[in-house]
Amino acid sequence: MTTSTATRKSRVAWIAATPALLGLLAVFVYPVLDGVRISLSHWSGVGPLDWAGLDNYTALLDDADFRHSILITVAYSAGVSIGVVALACALAAPISRGVRGSGFYRVVWFLPSVVPTAAAGLFWSTAFQPGYGAVNSVLGFLGFGDQHAWLVTPETAIPVIIVVAIWANLGFAFLIVLGAMEQVPISVYEAAGIDGAGPIRQFFSMTLPNIRPVLILTLMLEAIWTANDFSVVWAMTNGGPGSSTATLPVLIYKEAFSFTDYGTAGAMAVLSGAVLLLLGLVGLRLSRGKEQ
Amino acid sequence: MKALRGFLTQTPLALWTAVAVVPFLLIATLGFRDNTGIFANPLGLGGDFLPENFATAWNGPVGSSGLQGMLLNSLSAFVVALILNLGLGSLGAFFGSRLPGRAKHVYLSFFVLGTVVPAVLLLVPLYRTFNSLNALNSPWALGVVYGLMTLPTTVIVLHGFFTAFPEEVIEAAKVDGLGEFAIFLRIVVPLSLGALTTAGLLLAVWVWSETQIGIVLLQNADSQTAAVGILGFKGRFTAQLGPLFAGLTIIAIPVIALFLGFHRTITKGIALGGVSK
Repeated sequence: MTTSTATRKSRVAWIAATPALLGLLAVFVYPVLDGVRISLSHWSGVGPLDWAGLDNYTALLDDADFRHSILITVAYSAGVSIGVVALACALAAPISRGVRGSGFYRVVWFLPSVVPTAAAGLFWSTAFQPGYGAVNSVLGFLGFGDQHAWLVTPETAIPVIIVVAIWANLGFAFLIVLGAMEQVPISVYEAAGIDGAGPIRQFFSMTLPNIRPVLILTLMLEAIWTANDFSVVWAMTNGGPGSSTATLPVLIYKEAFSFTDYGTAGAMAVLSGAVLLLLGLVGLRLSRGKEQ
Repeated sequence: MKALRGFLTQTPLALWTAVAVVPFLLIATLGFRDNTGIFANPLGLGGDFLPENFATAWNGPVGSSGLQGMLLNSLSAFVVALILNLGLGSLGAFFGSRLPGRAKHVYLSFFVLGTVVPAVLLLVPLYRTFNSLNALNSPWALGVVYGLMTLPTTVIVLHGFFTAFPEEVIEAAKVDGLGEFAIFLRIVVPLSLGALTTAGLLLAVWVWSETQIGIVLLQNADSQTAAVGILGFKGRFTAQLGPLFAGLTIIAIPVIALFLGFHRTITKGIALGGVSK
């Protein structure tokens, strides 16, 4: 190949590859920079930005709703990610050993994860209503009473939202954990079989240690995604009563679009976004380590 | 002994299957009931049979839009997103992998970084930009954002496919006198329909579910996609649960049908692209 065709080839490649890069610039880089600028401004949704320096950030130090929201978000994110990964391990173990009906379970268990989370959240919010809610109705049938108003106090609403989010988000973790379990070499189990280890002991002493890197990575991804999640909480409680179940994405949405305080919302977004971005980078680091 | 062991294994699996599936059956059943029926029989096992709930959900409450309009809005956003996403994404993934030396690794790493930008950072700025461009309340404009935001996933999925693309095929086309771009359009794309389908299906499932950005950029009920608009149903139909459940059923059906038809492709794509919703 002559030099001129080589340069021509790479020039075509550059021209054809650039538009996608510009797309990233338009929806990620520019908005993030503009978001930092908004967080340093007062803005009510119309007209130019009004420079505010660090006012929005210093105001957040005394913002009880924001502090509460951080705690809620951490609890929500930890509860859902741990729940999802633990359940995924328990469910993937028998499937990876090819129990009867594995093909069927694989498909059916993914269904909750393909419907819109907003729709799932709406359904479950009715199911947890006192009287006519399906969950309460089943509890009533079992003799536990059917008048529990799960979603009106944060003490019960948050665990309920966590359970619903686990239901709605299990699919991805299940797939990844199952994939990892299927790659554990069969010889590991054969050796154990000779030693007479039962399936439960094999699960804890062989399967889990073998897939530990995947578990940590999945846990991390789920924690980040859950902390970013808006739809489940919004569909179930709108962050209420008050702001008592408002995770950060919900609080930021309300601050901006209900109270039109875009500067404060921007500062909340930059602070929480920075933490999530850092966690994401650590996650990328871990996943690259896994590939090597 | 063996039978007992099988029973002990199958029971929890069957239980979880019930937890996963029964809600869908319940939603579909309650879609045919009215409040009296639902209050008397919360599990839908009795009461009047009212298929007209589905018409109410489809047409919406008097004076506002129903699911019919929302499905069209979702479809508009999806078509725009699909064209942009697959167009730019396939060009980027193929030619990005043909960039000289280190450039190709740097190029790909931008897309990998794109997967970890949290959506909370983007909402207010996207709203401000859309507001100043007079592009709020446009499902088409939302489709542009959707198509570009999902580029990281698409490029990562397609990149894996293109790096395995046989170089001999490309060399043979060159001998025939085809240019780089013609090779891409006439050889690579037709031979990559499987990978492009995977990326397109992932995008469809994602667009169908997306609420967080949609709710910000589509403020008018008439402009909202199904996943955003259904949230408004809750308020507008408080007095009537039947149409709400009918609406949830209508929203669940297309994506469940798509998944049952293509579950292998979709799950493979999700594992490849590392995407959740």
